[in-house]
Order: sequence, then structure tokens, then C-alpha cells
Amino acid sequence: MAITYGAVKDLSAQLYDWSLRKVPDDTKSGLRAALERETQPGAREILKMMLGSAHRAETEERFVCSDAGVPVYNVTIGTAARLDGDIKAAIRDGFDELVARIRPPLLKHVTNPLTNERGYKGKDMPLVTWDVAGGAEWVEILCQPKALGSGRWAALETFSFPTLQQIEEYVMKVVMQAGSQHCPPVIIGIGIGGSFDVAARIASKATMRPVGSTNAEPVLAAMEERLLRAVNATGFGPMGTGGDTTALAVHADYASGHGYTPVAVCFNCWINRRTRARIHNDGTVERFE
Amino acid sequence: MSGLRRIRLPMSADEARTLRAGDVVLVDGEIVISAGLPTHQRLLEAAENGTPPPMQISGGALLHLGSYSQDTGDGGLEVLYMNPTTSTRFNALMPRLIRHYGLTAVGGKGGLDAACVAAMQEVGCVYLSVLGGGAPLHSAAIRAVREVACDDLVAHYRLVRLSVEGLGPVTVGIDAHGDSVFASLHAAANGRLPAILQEMERQRQV
Repeated sequence: MAITYGAVKDLSAQLYDWSLRKVPDDTKSGLRAALERETQPGAREILKMMLGSAHRAETEERFVCSDAGVPVYNVTIGTAARLDGDIKAAIRDGFDELVARIRPPLLKHVTNPLTNERGYKGKDMPLVTWDVAGGAEWVEILCQPKALGSGRWAALETFSFPTLQQIEEYVMKVVMQAGSQHCPPVIIGIGIGGSFDVAARIASKATMRPVGSTNAEPVLAAMEERLLRAVNATGFGPMGTGGDTTALAVHADYASGHGYTPVAVCFNCWINRRTRARIHNDGTVERFE
Repeated sequence: MSGLRRIRLPMSADEARTLRAGDVVLVDGEIVISAGLPTHQRLLEAAENGTPPPMQISGGALLHLGSYSQDTGDGGLEVLYMNPTTSTRFNALMPRLIRHYGLTAVGGKGGLDAACVAAMQEVGCVYLSVLGGGAPLHSAAIRAVREVACDDLVAHYRLVRLSVEGLGPVTVGIDAHGDSVFASLHAAANGRLPAILQEMERQRQV
């Protein structure tokens, strides 16, 4: 047995489809916890509507949002995985097949940034990031479609030997820029250090961590807690019309660098689209979320 | 939710002025939706050239909602789903559109800027903030598709006139008296920011 082109193609398409119709369980738990804490009546109503929308999407297999985003995949290949076929082509072809068969149809969101023309296909689409897992006998695919609503507000600035204060104040600056507009309550990803591209990558990856999980690194765990409290003290609230819940989670990670330290900040809107599964060498598919 | 105030669109400027920023209402009646910048540009070109707009929207409600519309095969039209998009990307066009067409309701998510707030105050127009990620709820409020224009554009850019019943609840994010929930919250957050940063510094020292 091996991990075939067909299996990767089918799973890529399936993960995208699932991600459009289900808000991850950890995120729904985060919304319910926020509803318990939220003190403003208008904000409570909006949080209830969010949970209602998520429930209805899941039970009636509808899209949570009309903006299906663009296909973004993170693929981790185990070094003991046996690959049979071009899995890069499989992911691209999986998206093409999904576009052809999905009901209701997707809107055309793949955009040529030079002309702003939109369609289902485009250069370097789907956006795929590749990683390697030592010794593993599987291929893991995480699908995280990304749309303008929250994608628009990501930012990165490079500092030299910044203090924690400078890093955190920069995060707050980006939070203020986004204000009411990124479909809060959001999940905030922060990437510190490495290099320009690595920091952005870390920030994006940080958003994939389940809501409610604790950072294993004590310095970052404390930073996340401080920032979550600070972001929620801004008062933008659910959908940015006021309330105690502007973020459900702040997740940070870092990489060693040189001393010039990029700090990247990105956001996922409240529906926090994310699905993940592994294909094993024996052909079995294990779905995680 | 049955106790909520209901508004019927399109409404008069006087009716729009009875709403206040922060009010939560349900929407009945007729709305026109589009999530397309090219569509807004066409409406503006028609206004500036004195030519007929792709769809009659004078005195109406123009909301930043994207939708998937298609022919039903028997000459009818259907909308399979709809949901709001970020309104601020239309900031530059909205003041002229609001004034020229006398719009009494606009909306979407995230609000509009100060120039739009001024135009809305002048004309008698409110901004309705619609839940993002609410496609299953909003789509269920659609009663009929009345008209589709700009169908040479991608589906979510088209102008679609819909009859809706019980759309929402939606929040009056900006009223016709110059009050914007978004501007107030931003100003309040800016005002609180020094204290927030100070508190973070205190926590770092613990």
C-alpha cells in the first residue's frame, strides 16, 4: 500500500468542503465560554447568533460564510510515508474537482492581484506550505481557507533586539488598525523572530492551534494571557459593535533569529475555518478536525 | 427576538432618522445587495454621466452583501446563499452614492468612515451591521429574488434586489444623526489604550 495521488486528491477536496460547513469544536467551545463572560446584551445576542449560525451550517450542511476564501493547505510529509504519484498535482486537481461538483457552488474568489480579475484558478493556487515530519508514516493535510475579511488586516514589522514590551505594543497597534472590521471575536496569531518569511509562517501556524490550549513556553503563555486581556479591554466586541469579546484566543510562537526580529500578526475571523486529516501508508484516513 | 423593532425597507429619510446608533432591529421588505467594487463604480458612473443606473436604487437600501444567484431554468431567479462583506473598502465611493441616490439604508459589516457618516446625516440614511459568518441565517430570510443586474460580473458582484422577512437581528451601526458605533468604539479604545498598555507593563513586572 502507499499514499496515492487519488487519495490525496480526494482528501484535499473533502477537507475544503468540510471546512466551509463546520466551525471547529474548540472554537464553538470558545464562543460558548465567551457568551458566559460577556456582559453587554447586544454582544451576547451576536454571540448567540454566531452559535446558531454554526449549528445550522453543521446540521443542514450549509456554508457558514458566503466567502469560501481561497484554498490554503499545510501539508506535512512523514519521512517514512510511501508516496505513489504527484501529490502536489493531487492537491491542485482536488480543488478543481471540488469547484466542479460542490453544491451550492463556490463564488469566484481566486484573484489575480495585478488585474483584480477573479475566477477559480490562478498562479500558485492552491496556496500550499510543505513540511516534513521525521519518521512518520503518514501525510497530514490541514486545510485553512482564507478570505479578505480577516486576511486583510495581517501585518509585519521588523525590529532590532525588541523588548517584550515593544513586541506586545506592536501587536496592539495592529489590533487597533483592524478595529471592528475582521469579524471578531478573532483568533490572533503572532510570529516572532526567524526571518521575514518565517515569522509570517509562524504567525499563520499559531492560528491553527486549538482555541483554549495553553502555550508550553512559559514566556509565551504569559504573553498570550496579557494580550488576550488587553485585546478584550479595547471593547470592539463581537462584529465590532461593542462588547467584552474581541478575541477568543491569542497564540504566539517564535524562532531564533539574528537580532533583527520580524513580528508578524494575523487574524482568523470567528468561524476559524480549519480541518485536518492524515492518510497513512495503509490507505486509512484519520480525521482530526 | 419577537420583541425587536422591525423596519420595513425601503424607508423614508424621516423613518431612518427615528433609528439610533446601537438599536437592534429586524428587517423586512426590499433590499438591493452587491459585494462588488466594479458594481459600485458603475452606479457612480451612471450618477455622474446622468445615464440610467444598472438598477433603480433611488431612495432605497443598498447593502454590502455577497450572494450566489442563478437562473432557476423556468425564467426565475434564486439566491442560494448570502452574507455581508467588509464595507470600508467602499468608503471612497459611498458618500457620492448615498447623496446622488438618496439612499436611506446602507450596510454590511465593519462600518463606514467619517465622510460616509456625514453624507448619511445629510441625506437621512442608516448603516445596518449584519452578522458575518451568518449565511445560514441570512439566506433563510430571503422570500423572493426580484431583479438581478450586472450579470456579466461574478455572482457576488451582481446587483440583486431581494424581498426579505426577518433579516437579522441587525445593529444600527451608524445613524442618520452623525453617531457611529464604530467611530465611538474606536475613539474609546484609543482613549483606553495608554491604560491598557500600562496594565500590560505592570503584569510583565509581576
